[in-house]
Amino acid sequence: MTDTPLDFGDPADLDQLRGRFRAWLADHPLPQRQPDEPVPVFLRRWHRLLHSGGWVGLDVPRQYGGQGLTALHQVAISDELGACRAPGIPRIGYLAHALLEFGSEEQRGRLLPRMLAGEDVWCQGFSEPGAGSDLAGMTTFAERHEGHYTVRGQKLWTSYAQYSGLCLLLARTDRSLPPHKSISAFILPLDRPGVTVRPLRAANGDDEFCELFLDDVRIEDAERIGAEGDGWPLAMTTVSYERNALDTGHISTYGLLVERLRRSAHDRRGELPDGLLSEIGRCVVDYEVLVAHARRRTAERRGGQVAGPESSVDKLLMTRTEQRLYETALKVFPEEVFGEGGGLFGDYLYSRAASVYGGTSQIQRNIIAKRILRLPSGG
Amino acid sequence: MEAEEFLLVRDMFRSFATRFRASSADVKPATRAAAQEALGELGLGELRRTSPPAATVQECALLAEEHGKQPLTTSLIGTALLAPELLRLLGDDAPDEVPPVHGTTPTIALARDLRFPDFPRSHPGELVAWDCEGADGALCVTSDGSVTGVGLGPPSPSADLLRGIRSVPPGSPSHALGRLDPAALRHWQAYALVIVSSELVGAAASFVRQSVEYARDRRQYGREIGSFQAVQHLLADATVLVEACTSATRYAAWCLDNEPPGTALKAARVAKAEVNDSALEVVRTGMQVFGGIAQTWEHDAHLYLRKVLTGAMTLATTADLLTTLAEPEAVR
Ligand SMILES: Cc1cc2nc3c(=O)[nH]c(=O)nc-3n(C[C@H](O)[C@H](O)[C@H](O)COP(=O)(O)OP(=O)(O)OC[C@H]3O[C@@H](n4cnc5c(N)ncnc54)[C@H](O)[C@@H]3O)c2cc1C
Repeated sequence: MTDTPLDFGDPADLDQLRGRFRAWLADHPLPQRQPDEPVPVFLRRWHRLLHSGGWVGLDVPRQYGGQGLTALHQVAISDELGACRAPGIPRIGYLAHALLEFGSEEQRGRLLPRMLAGEDVWCQGFSEPGAGSDLAGMTTFAERHEGHYTVRGQKLWTSYAQYSGLCLLLARTDRSLPPHKSISAFILPLDRPGVTVRPLRAANGDDEFCELFLDDVRIEDAERIGAEGDGWPLAMTTVSYERNALDTGHISTYGLLVERLRRSAHDRRGELPDGLLSEIGRCVVDYEVLVAHARRRTAERRGGQVAGPESSVDKLLMTRTEQRLYETALKVFPEEVFGEGGGLFGDYLYSRAASVYGGTSQIQRNIIAKRILRLPSGG
Repeated sequence: MEAEEFLLVRDMFRSFATRFRASSADVKPATRAAAQEALGELGLGELRRTSPPAATVQECALLAEEHGKQPLTTSLIGTALLAPELLRLLGDDAPDEVPPVHGTTPTIALARDLRFPDFPRSHPGELVAWDCEGADGALCVTSDGSVTGVGLGPPSPSADLLRGIRSVPPGSPSHALGRLDPAALRHWQAYALVIVSSELVGAAASFVRQSVEYARDRRQYGREIGSFQAVQHLLADATVLVEACTSATRYAAWCLDNEPPGTALKAARVAKAEVNDSALEVVRTGMQVFGGIAQTWEHDAHLYLRKVLTGAMTLATTADLLTTLAEPEAVR
């Protein structure tokens, strides 16, 4: 933790960027989601439009298709999107970091620009039926041959695999070594023979996550990311960035709902049940603290620091914000509980997953206790 | 301040704080006076007295955090950071006839319940002077921005055994010093909220650190209590809350240096609301980890609890802030 003054960025520079972005938005109206258009498909159209204006990957180096600016700039754009009720920045930052850190120059040069442009859509094939929190217990195996691997196994909870072209896949490449040294990472095109993607229905009715069956799928050596055994550190980098407050489009979504609650508090002054006004105030505090926290992380990370175990703090703060926000929203808009489903109630159901995906809240606490507080491990 | 200069000041302050930390709840008046004199020698009252100030708000907030880390009886917040800022904001309005009724080393005056005084200044009897060690007068800002100097009465009891609070004698002479314009008033409120919050953040962070160290050493059932997952999760949750408080106050401090006062005031209110609840939660958690020892008079725990509990009521309570923040901003 830093105990010296932080630089939260030059407001003038960021204001200029915001100004340019607003001007661009004025010329590029938000696309409308078509009836029956699945959300991921709609988001991809939005992603491509944003990219065409140069608003994706602001903090990615120019040679890989980004703008070579800082995370502060990307966060400023996120804020602007939130303010005009647009969907957030596509959530690709954590995948981009995995490639930046572990990919070969060839992979970075070929894959990153396509990822930023929304030409390739990626999913994350880490979890398995028997390996959730205990990710190291995965059993999907990639058997080595001359120049390639054959992969057998099953992945579970692979979000949006049915809309993705590529999967960042983890598989064991050595049965004799301990898990943390024997897991490797691969780029798997999902149209490969032997790959079956089966969507699962989520509690809110959405078909977000999938099962992924891998029956002797051939993966080339050149499709491995990093060396054999680099899969574990790569996974840790990925989840650290995934948990990181800066790297998700969530924050701007929260901001919209918080404003909706405040407006409702204002319009229904005197009608809201006792205590609900304070609960709304608490949601404002949670949200603003999260924004301040994200800014502080950016300020701390400007020196090129990479995400580490402190992202577990970020994840828990994000979870607190999201879950309390939707709990409160249902109290302020109780009619949503009796509606058709979807909408706010669907989002409420999804907020329950916040303490599960990307590592459960208990796992985040374990990480903080062991890796930040250095508490002894016990039985 | 240059980065290096700030580190020098901070380290100087840290040695002071280690040397003068209260070793028990019963600090003798002579010890308190000696600590305050040593603090005075550091000259921190000058940091915000001049225009432009010698230190940024962020730097002052970090010093306030340091002050909160140790059980200290000294008035850094009231006499060195808050009152001088107020005199600076008054600028040429501040008369320099000596000795004014608010003394040469004023602290600030608050409502009797420690909140911002927001009643007409015709009732100075309702005031208390807050953080009084070494102070010889107090400054009071009312909600219309007018600033008055008031004199000090006898000590007034408070749950916080470290912080000196004195009554303001009813009918004591008070004199008008000037008035803050609306922007300066917002700045003042934001600044006071941030500095007070920062001290509480320092206290909470330090108390968690101490309980983590205790959990590493203390053994039960043949192993360190810090190896039990139930204890680990308590401390992890406390850590998250400390981080939340830290982010909110540091950001609010930065806003005071860089953003318009309206933005800074909102950020400061958010910070105080977070700190009011979370710092207290953190101290309760730490006390649980310490077990029985933290329930004794001799242990520091109650000093932290008392400081944070009264701190959460100081300037603005959670209830005040949450209802204010629930309203949409007038300008967006
Ligand atoms: C909406 C959603 C999207 C997801 N997307 C993806 C994705 O795209 N790609 C992917 O790979 N995975 C994805 N996941 C999977 C997610 O990472 C796992 O669900 C998560 O890691 C938990 O694993 P599990 O479900 O097997 O639960 P389990 O690991 O079985 O946990 C069950 C309970 O036991 C607790 N527990 C387990 N171990 C410990 C321990 N050591 N200490 C204390 N408590 C413990 C957990 O906290 C939890 O409460 C997604 C999950 C959800 C809900």
